[in-house]
Amino acid sequence: MRRALATFMVLAFLALSSTAVAAYQYAPPRQWTPGASAGSTYSSNWLANYFMTWGSGYDKTVTFIRNTNYGWYNTKRGTSDYLETYAPFDGTYKAHCVSHSYFWGSCNVR
Amino acid sequence: MFGDGETRSFAGGGVRHWVALGLGVVIAGAVAGSVVAGQFDDGSQLSAAIEESDLVKVADIPSSDGAPAKGVYVQVTRTGHLCVWESVSATSRERGGGCNTVDDPLNGQALSYTLSYDGGPVVTDVRTATLFGLATPQVARAAVVMSDQTKHDIRLRNVRIGDADYRAFGYRVRRSDLKHGIAPIAVIALDASGAEIGRQTTGIG
Repeated sequence: MRRALATFMVLAFLALSSTAVAAYQYAPPRQWTPGASAGSTYSSNWLANYFMTWGSGYDKTVTFIRNTNYGWYNTKRGTSDYLETYAPFDGTYKAHCVSHSYFWGSCNVR
Repeated sequence: MFGDGETRSFAGGGVRHWVALGLGVVIAGAVAGSVVAGQFDDGSQLSAAIEESDLVKVADIPSSDGAPAKGVYVQVTRTGHLCVWESVSATSRERGGGCNTVDDPLNGQALSYTLSYDGGPVVTDVRTATLFGLATPQVARAAVVMSDQTKHDIRLRNVRIGDADYRAFGYRVRRSDLKHGIAPIAVIALDASGAEIGRQTTGIG
């Protein structure tokens, strides 16, 4: 009985900790169209924001938006399968991604 | 009626039932998560691999108008990707760019780049902007086309990455142009005869 409970606790901890360490997928895999966008929650702890697409050559943007002036910071726009930018050190930002073409992909922040 | 022993046994069986159910839910969740992750490559493996391999500098982006000097770096990951980054150093966390598979690093184009900028999204709000990327050896010359139709040459540098030759570049857009709302609208690639063999638009301007 105790062994079963201990096993359960370990598994539950592993499940929760793996979720916490992994990137937060703020836009799950889906079909994107030109002009479509998505954003994460605001945080001062984000490190990087990336847009992953299936197939190559699709135009897209990743950036961080500050919560005070809503300006765009460290914006990257390109056609790489995987497009990444980093969060500024100071302040509170949300990760933001924009599609400029038709493709399948997801946006993630960590 | 249950005796004392039967009651304890019944209660113990109930707890075991819930523990077993909890275990089942956790295991099912883990299995389902693995299946979903296996079906949809969300970039997490590549994201982890990027942290493991070294960056090699292939071009410079000089400082200008108060913006710091940066470098263009490449990286081949264990996942089979060639990444091109803009960064202040090979070890800095301040790194942005993109990755493609090594068998198609330029998306089938003569030239491929990332546009990087701070400020915006309106052009007059953009404070700094750079373009960086790779071209095939067939590209003899490259130029950035501005929204006022002027063209500025981009310096190309021969580099070897793995078993393949490329021409690397990094270019900083003039602050004076951005202030006047003049933005880079495309980068063109020309061969030795001057013929245009590639064009990638920036989507801004």
